[in-house]
Amino acid sequence: MSTPASEEFPAGDARSGAHPGEAQPGGAQPMAGSPPVAGPGPSHAELAAMSREELVTLGGEMDGVRVVYAEPPVPPGSRLEKRAVRQVAASFLGVTLSVVAFVVLFVAWPWQLDYSGQGEGFDYAALYTPLLGLTLGSALTFLGVGVVLWAKKLMTYEVVVQDRHEGASPQIERQTTAATMLSGLNDTGIGRHTLVRRTLLLASAALGLLAVVPLVGGLIKKPGDQLFRTPWEPGMRLLGLDGVPVRPLDMRPGSLQTVFPPVEAGNRSADAVTMLIRLLPDQAQRYRPREGQEGYRWNDFVAFSKICTHAGCPVSLYEQETGLILCPCHQSQFDVTDGAKSIFGPATRSLPQLPLDVDNDGYFVATSDFTEPIGPAFWERSS
Amino acid sequence: MSSGLALLLALIAVGGLYSATAPESTAQDSGLSVEAMAGQEIYENGCITCHGRNLQGVEDQGPSLIGVGEAAVYFQVGTGRMPLAQNEAQAQRKTPAYDDAEVNQLMAYIQANGGGPTLPDEGDLREGELAEGGELFRLNCASCHNFAGRGGALSGGKNAPALTESTDLDIYTAMLSGPQNMPVFGDNQLTPEQKRSIINYVQTLKETADPGGAGIGRAGPVPEGLVIWVVGITVCLVVCVWVGSRA
Repeated sequence: MSTPASEEFPAGDARSGAHPGEAQPGGAQPMAGSPPVAGPGPSHAELAAMSREELVTLGGEMDGVRVVYAEPPVPPGSRLEKRAVRQVAASFLGVTLSVVAFVVLFVAWPWQLDYSGQGEGFDYAALYTPLLGLTLGSALTFLGVGVVLWAKKLMTYEVVVQDRHEGASPQIERQTTAATMLSGLNDTGIGRHTLVRRTLLLASAALGLLAVVPLVGGLIKKPGDQLFRTPWEPGMRLLGLDGVPVRPLDMRPGSLQTVFPPVEAGNRSADAVTMLIRLLPDQAQRYRPREGQEGYRWNDFVAFSKICTHAGCPVSLYEQETGLILCPCHQSQFDVTDGAKSIFGPATRSLPQLPLDVDNDGYFVATSDFTEPIGPAFWERSS
Repeated sequence: MSSGLALLLALIAVGGLYSATAPESTAQDSGLSVEAMAGQEIYENGCITCHGRNLQGVEDQGPSLIGVGEAAVYFQVGTGRMPLAQNEAQAQRKTPAYDDAEVNQLMAYIQANGGGPTLPDEGDLREGELAEGGELFRLNCASCHNFAGRGGALSGGKNAPALTESTDLDIYTAMLSGPQNMPVFGDNQLTPEQKRSIINYVQTLKETADPGGAGIGRAGPVPEGLVIWVVGITVCLVVCVWVGSRA
């Protein structure tokens, strides 16, 4: 394409005249595989006289495109074609019907679910969302099926080949393309306007820094002790979910209650959540505290962190007879009668224990925070 | 010497007299109501092997029943869990072996021996706040029984059963008595009103239709993911093959 065109340039053209020695051998090479379109091509009158098919063929030839095979999938006018037409039309009709059904259902179908629990028979409102999804989905499916059927059964099947040169592009094209691009860069003036170039570089560096700040920022300043402590403090009462402090007589043997510290949004402070457990009498007898934590229990009562020491899931599957606490995430098991020691699963550390006491008014209090970090391992953790 | 012989004879006489009269005296001083005595008869026929002559329990067979209360009897016998069909990890719900009248008699007998949690007073056990019940359920129950009450596995072959068949009173008495490995939720820990809220939530959840289509067991992302991987991807593959094939 380029070679015949370049022949039409006037002799004084800057590009073709710049390197006449190289243009000659380079320009000759693409001719070998190029379509046999020579000279200036058909005249205006000839073009006007050509049919659409001839124009398409001509256009293809100019680009080195050849149609190898072109045939309709079904014979035109045959019964097969009529059937294909009917199939495509039915699919498109299906789109319309589905959309109409969608709109009708959207407006008319009962949608309010009966939550009273008193309703009799089947609750048709339960089908509202599924029916909307079904009709909308079938509309889109019909559209897709129709288009695919159309393409497969009615459109001409053709194989087209375009000639391409072998190996690298000819020297002349490579050099002219590079020159064009460099000329474009030159036109932006970035080489001459030093201030623009430098401020742009500076802006890029600043934007790059923006991406790095949150990653590196966390490494600059230590996060303090927030991983090592929870909101529990000495003398804090143990509250239930409803904010009522818990007394020993509230819990029968073999019961578990999730308790929270009396701080703002205490039952939302994720790291303070604690299980208060009243052991069965025989469990209390054979209870073995961890070393140095002998005073943490209060009679039959023990309190452990509810956060698994493996991956931080809430462990509250409590088996009151066996005294096992199970973690639902990775099946770790902790033996409450053995100081909540991990006895199975991926967790390796015992659940941290909250030291318990009862204050003068008879309510449970913590005598201190957990004496070790709760939850899973982290970098600075010593144990 | 003669006084010593007399003492020996007297001791033998007293001992013999005691051994002859003792069984009758224990039967007489029980002080049980008629219903409780009928319950005792059922107990001695059906439960005594594992729970012992005096409800004290039998080592490695069954726990003591002193102080468990009628709520425990209602739950265990009324849902058919007791008597056990066989020794297994945990008692399963099955067709009850005793009818309602017999369960009531057993309840009276157990209640008469050491007291314990009783059945709730008459009234609607679902008379509670739905939202509060939901919150309490998720905090206290959902970790074992699944967020939709479909149950889940515990250790050593035990499991937290699904709540699909549980009646209001089943759930209430289970919370009160803490059957098997379920923790106890006494009335000071979950007030009767809170228990009713939880029951209201559980039963409403069961009766509510799935608004988003198939619930797929309501067991969460695992079965849902399985369906989309197996069914969804198969459909996609079939469509791809169809689109790519020649007519």
